[in-house]
Amino acid sequence: MPVDTLLRLLLALLLLGAGLALYHLVTHWLLSRARGKASQLEAFRPGQPAILYFTTPDCAVCKAVQRPALRSLQTRLGERLQVIEVDAYEKPELARDWGVMSVPTTFILDAQGKPRHMNPGVTPADKLFEQLKKAGAAV
Amino acid sequence: MSNGLQRVDHSALRINQAAIIFLLLTAFVLDQPALAGLVCLVMLFGTALKRPGFSFLYTRLLKPAGWVSPDVLLDHPEPHRFAQGFGGVVLAGSYAALALGAASLGWALVWLVIALAALNLFVGFCAGCAVYYWLNRLRVPGFLQSPPEGTFPGMRPKTR
Repeated sequence: MPVDTLLRLLLALLLLGAGLALYHLVTHWLLSRARGKASQLEAFRPGQPAILYFTTPDCAVCKAVQRPALRSLQTRLGERLQVIEVDAYEKPELARDWGVMSVPTTFILDAQGKPRHMNPGVTPADKLFEQLKKAGAAV
Repeated sequence: MSNGLQRVDHSALRINQAAIIFLLLTAFVLDQPALAGLVCLVMLFGTALKRPGFSFLYTRLLKPAGWVSPDVLLDHPEPHRFAQGFGGVVLAGSYAALALGAASLGWALVWLVIALAALNLFVGFCAGCAVYYWLNRLRVPGFLQSPPEGTFPGMRPKTR
């Protein structure tokens, strides 16, 4: 491969990496912002980690993919996990407070209700499981 | 709800964005301004024909093969066309800069289009659409549509 092409490839990878880093920074900022709002979540029971799941009734991918993934996790973890589902149409202010820009969006809350991970878009059960483990869930 | 909402297949828009990103990255890595020029032409022709330039990949290949499912939302197609046309004009500027020997400026404009297409594809925010709605708010003639109800200007609508 010519040196010039290689340099361009490296530059492209660097720029793509910078874009990815920026995306993570924004996600981190949204997560920090959500931390201040976690105490307002009435449905959360302290002592157990939770998945806060934002959806809407007309979200097809939520029904087809995200909800089954959450169900499988709930079956796997039973009482050790609480899944809090929020209809973003019914509670638009809550969705705005949590920085939800699209559905589905899931948040992993630790046992104290502190948001630890944010997942915009469909997230597989395995990834949610790993995030729950990192958040200190007894799995 | 805003008037004039139509059924817009966002899968076609996403495939268009993905194709633009892939081809422009290839053009940059291989130092092929002609490829960036070709993407520019497809985007401008697509805008003139009122469709995403690379939607043929979706309608002729990916959708019939069942690899990509339709994602039809109630939306305004005009802001998406404006965004694509705006991207095409920026690419035309980049091609001119590259042809005139201003390589840094030319490739910087290409990267601007890549960044905005990636923002739309991965985050769901269409910067060109946001500009369209902003111009509508300023009552600029020709920018007739306002954002779908409950949707932040430029963000992907949730209503199906």
